[in-house]
Amino acid sequence: MKQTYNVPDMHCPACSMLLEGLEDDLPGIRRISASYHKQRLDVDFDEAQVSEAEIMAAAEELGYALTRRER
Amino acid sequence: MVEFFAAFITGLTAGGLSCLAVQGGLLTGSIAPSTATKVPAKKGSQSRKRARTGKRAAKQQPATEPPSARTILLFLGAKLVAYALLGLLIGALGSVLQLTPRMSALLMLAIGVFMVGNGLRMLNVHPIFRYFTFEPPSAVTRYLRRKAKGGATAVTPLFLGTLTVLIPCGVTQAMMALAMGTGDALRAAGLMTAFTLGSSVVFFAVGYLAVRLGGVMQKGFGQLAAVVLLVLGFASVNSGMNLLGVPLSFLQPVRTAAQDAEAVTVLPADDEQNVITIQALGWGYEPRRVHARAGVPTELTFVSENLFSCSRALVIPEWNIREILPETGEFTVNLPAQPLGKVLNYSCSMGMYFGQIVFDQ
Repeated sequence: MKQTYNVPDMHCPACSMLLEGLEDDLPGIRRISASYHKQRLDVDFDEAQVSEAEIMAAAEELGYALTRRER
Repeated sequence: MVEFFAAFITGLTAGGLSCLAVQGGLLTGSIAPSTATKVPAKKGSQSRKRARTGKRAAKQQPATEPPSARTILLFLGAKLVAYALLGLLIGALGSVLQLTPRMSALLMLAIGVFMVGNGLRMLNVHPIFRYFTFEPPSAVTRYLRRKAKGGATAVTPLFLGTLTVLIPCGVTQAMMALAMGTGDALRAAGLMTAFTLGSSVVFFAVGYLAVRLGGVMQKGFGQLAAVVLLVLGFASVNSGMNLLGVPLSFLQPVRTAAQDAEAVTVLPADDEQNVITIQALGWGYEPRRVHARAGVPTELTFVSENLFSCSRALVIPEWNIREILPETGEFTVNLPAQPLGKVLNYSCSMGMYFGQIVFDQ
């Protein structure tokens, strides 16, 4: 499943690095890309291994509140 | 020496805080694996989540077990060496490009705008200012991240410290541009070393304490860094404008009033040529404004005595003159006749000290 999130709490490029680190922490993330410039996080994940709620909770633990970006 | 001191102060103020925001994650990540096992699992749902995801404990570790002083010092030592070498490289590059005074002025203006933009970005004034910072490609940050988690020997912080050259913060990027502007490999290396040394002091103090004190402190430091950046940015724009001789630079009205108060009129005795002598001093040039006769040639001499200030680096942009004055001695320029009303600006190479000759007599 591919999903895009708004991340208004990103305050520097290092935040992208932290958020992209979720791929090392959570199972089932196929691809993850964060952009500080766009304040956005694109995640491609396997729903059988990880849920959207878990991704959002993990990001929140890092200090970032994700809101789903509707297409 | 003055410019190295200025670079050190820049590092000590804006540089350290800004670098910490960008590169601090690398440092805190570098020791995570060694201490991960010491983390007690939290209760309730958190512990279930951690048990399932496993590595999350390592990720969270820096918040509870910050890097040791030794790790930070190894990291900063490697960073210092890396930036000194980078300074050598970009200084050599600058010497190949041979910047003219006008190009230096434009570079300084650009650096100022860049710094102001970064300050406004850090204060979150408008989303457009986010583009004032360089966002490293994901491949680079992924590589760094994985290296940071790869092990916790002394080699790790050394390696990561070196790799910080790949993710320079906004202030560092500005300092790199300034170093390139010197057009001298050794001076550039000196500038980068002084700057990195200054930033290292803050990096160490804040890195050591703020990680322990938490995010609130870091946010406060971030805002302080933003304000310092704004001030330095405006100063750089002002210097660039002085260097260009643009009369609308920020302090010009104040300076002009001061110069008027101490202006000196030099009139040639025989109407053949103006003979003007300017003292280059530690705090600028005197007299700062000279009124001279138009329509006759001018012999302009700068005199220095035991001078170790940046006023030694004389620039007369309009005549493309860039001269390092002797510590003690004279430097003379012969100018052709100037039209009535002509204003000739000169300054130090950083645009901090400047003076004028007004041909209005």
